[in-house]
Amino acid sequence: MNPSQHIVKSYDEELQRLTGEIVGMGELARRQLIAAIAAVENRDNEAARKVPDDDDLIDQLEQDVSRDVVQLLVVRSPMARDLREVVAALRIASDYERIGDYAANIAKRALVLNESPLVKPVRILPRLAQVAGELLTEVTAAYRDRDADRALAAWHQDEHLDALYTGLFRELLTYMMEDPRTITPCTHLLFMAKNVERIGDHATNIAENVYFIVHGQMIPADRRKADTSASINPELPAAD
Amino acid sequence: MIDTAPKPAQANASTPAAALKMAARGLDFHYGDIQALRGVDLDVAERQVTALIGPSGCGKSTLLRVFNRIYAIYPGQVASGQVLLDGENILDPGYSLNRLRSKVGMVFQKPVPFPMSIYENVAYAIRHYERLSRVDMDDRVEQALRQGALWDEVKDKLKRSALGLSGGQQQRLCIARAVALNPEVILLDEPTSALDPIATGRIEQLIAELKEHFTIVIVTHNMQQAARCSDHTAFMYLGELVEFGATTQIFTNPARKQTEDYITGRFG
Repeated sequence: MNPSQHIVKSYDEELQRLTGEIVGMGELARRQLIAAIAAVENRDNEAARKVPDDDDLIDQLEQDVSRDVVQLLVVRSPMARDLREVVAALRIASDYERIGDYAANIAKRALVLNESPLVKPVRILPRLAQVAGELLTEVTAAYRDRDADRALAAWHQDEHLDALYTGLFRELLTYMMEDPRTITPCTHLLFMAKNVERIGDHATNIAENVYFIVHGQMIPADRRKADTSASINPELPAAD
Repeated sequence: MIDTAPKPAQANASTPAAALKMAARGLDFHYGDIQALRGVDLDVAERQVTALIGPSGCGKSTLLRVFNRIYAIYPGQVASGQVLLDGENILDPGYSLNRLRSKVGMVFQKPVPFPMSIYENVAYAIRHYERLSRVDMDDRVEQALRQGALWDEVKDKLKRSALGLSGGQQQRLCIARAVALNPEVILLDEPTSALDPIATGRIEQLIAELKEHFTIVIVTHNMQQAARCSDHTAFMYLGELVEFGATTQIFTNPARKQTEDYITGRFG
């Protein structure tokens, strides 16, 4: 992780503990996403109910991180890379916490969605979630190894997720226009897809923070936004 | 993707935006056979605070001592290279010590008030350079004590011995004494290392006020103090200037590994 150790050994232990807590949050958040999507795919209400309960674990870890960060700031007055580590830890923990919330939201909607007959576009959601899940695996590994190149690669991957989301958005609109009886389930699906897309955005935040820890600056290039759903109007012909 | 990785910031990249007040150029210093400074180049910006940091023995105090040639009272101590003050080389034997000391004041680690009254501590220094009437001297002493942020605490006991003041007050008296000569540069050698946090806070506040009128160079072992008080920071090691830059940059993202290791407490 860091090139050399601190003169005060307990300082290293405190930083390592922080890393462990955050990597733990990352793994939990990814598992929550997988569980929520599985509940949608399998129309499994019992599994869907479990996801929001498990979200408490992520929330608890975020509180642990906040407490440890405050402690580190008070006791160690971190400087330079250590300071970036501690500041980034706080930000990354809050991103994972939000990701956990989105997974819980998806699971809660699954319960409602399961009340309606199955609609076809449901099958795109797992594809979307798979990309988001891979993104989470990558950023968590990039954080664990303080690997800025890996973080940067993941950061670029979010574009793919945005494009998939925009595709799903179009498909759902078409579906709803063809058969207004599907509006209720499709609207829920739309929100779930948006949640997955937002998970991708938080994953890119994490990637940015990993890059910041390593290089001491933000990722320089501007990424093209592939989520163009905000400008889609079903009354108009598609722009592409 | 890899081409977007930032290049390491160049050491010495930060040229102070303010005018150059003092500068070391290729400065070497020897204590007899021991070389304490090796080819130091450093810019000191006018009316800004420049902090010198580094482990014990790195040469930071030596550099400060060269800036007002205080070393000259010891035999066997030799500086070579240049130290420019407003473009003039103060190491030049033709540059009179009296003139230098009137422009460059110094405050030491341990407060060293003279064993005389508070008033006389300040007036004594002024008398060395100027003949003033009683009234003018009173004004100058008051002005200096105000600039030293000490006036309100001592105005009713100016005739009392300075040795009765607290450590923090004594140090502010020493700063007032330095300021009384209207110097252009003030050198502070670990000015708060013997003081409690409250007295330290007062001195740091004072530094912030003094930099409106004076150029300040401070040597400190306290990283937070350097980060709080200074505009530019120089990290020295084994007599060399390793890295010099804007204080924010040095303490958040230093370019050199040695600097990083030192300020993060990894120095082996």
